Amino acid sequence: MMASPDVLFEIAWRFASLSLLAVGGINALLPEFHRVVVEVEGWMTSAEFADLYALAQLAPGPNAMVVSLLGWKVAGVTGAFVATIAACGPSSVLCYFAIRGLENLRDPRVRVVLQRALAPIAIGLMLASGYTLARAADRSAGALALTLAATAAIAFSRVNPVWILAVAAVAGVAGLA
Amino acid sequence: MTDDPAPAAPAPVAPPLTRGQLFTAFLKMGLLGFGGVMPWARRVLVDERGLLTDREFVELIGLCQVLPGPNVVNMSVILGGRWHGPVGTLIALSGILFVPVFVVLLLATSYASVAHEPMARNAIAAASAAAAGLILGTAWRLLRGARPAPRGWVLALGVFIAVGIVQAPLLWVLAIVVPFSIAIEWRQR
Repeated sequence: MMASPDVLFEIAWRFASLSLLAVGGINALLPEFHRVVVEVEGWMTSAEFADLYALAQLAPGPNAMVVSLLGWKVAGVTGAFVATIAACGPSSVLCYFAIRGLENLRDPRVRVVLQRALAPIAIGLMLASGYTLARAADRSAGALALTLAATAAIAFSRVNPVWILAVAAVAGVAGLA
Repeated sequence: MTDDPAPAAPAPVAPPLTRGQLFTAFLKMGLLGFGGVMPWARRVLVDERGLLTDREFVELIGLCQVLPGPNVVNMSVILGGRWHGPVGTLIALSGILFVPVFVVLLLATSYASVAHEPMARNAIAAASAAAAGLILGTAWRLLRGARPAPRGWVLALGVFIAVGIVQAPLLWVLAIVVPFSIAIEWRQR
């Protein structure tokens, strides 16, 4: 698929201008991405957007890869890479220099206080994202049982998560979830 | 002067990973991170390679969450940069993001035909349910491993209720909770 430079440029500046707003990750900005690619630019339908989102959740890699898929839908493989770099580039550069600044502070107490203050928030947000995902996925008693079993397996054993996912998928095919 | 190293000079700390190991570690997180990279990030960095403690991991993720950008992308930027500078950042990002993008594009081309097969749908639904469990179990491990003070448990629970159960907008929750938590820790320092 050949993409015109105009389209690539449009993807680049649209996504780059959202990059620094993505506090809490790309998921926090999904409504805005939806507005831009479906309503403003008309690059795809709402249903296509939802399909790409579902695929990004399922696929390996960061869930933020939904932006790669949006770019791919609009302008092929080149579009995917332009979209990924545009959406993650500005925030990554900011992150790199913000952390360097933090680590070079003369007073290490600032960094220690910041890290201690943010750690419990990180755990709370992780619990919230697991819970939200479970609410979306657990449509049956079997699915809920799979969520609970996977939680216990990770919390109390060192079993490789690949096996947990594989066993769950087989249980799903067998109609247990 | 002899060849003896001067004891007073701070010895340069060798990075705990070579560039190749950095790439393979982040590639593993990227390629195996079905349903979310965070459980794999903790497993690889804390359990398998012992590069971070649970507490260090959580503190790092906390910083990644308040900075704009995807959490695991920020994490790669920070750790790659810490161990190998700007090149390390690019190496970590290649492993966790750019290579998996190819895999996802391959999946995307066949997704439409597979996604409507009932068997595939059942397998995907069940794996998603288990993936939610991977994240919940990882959060539990981090709570136990990082051993926050009681006020930390209360804060984690409050954020979970606000964002997970009440579904309050994330930005508002952060705008309230982050300054509050920093003020408390500053007084306790």
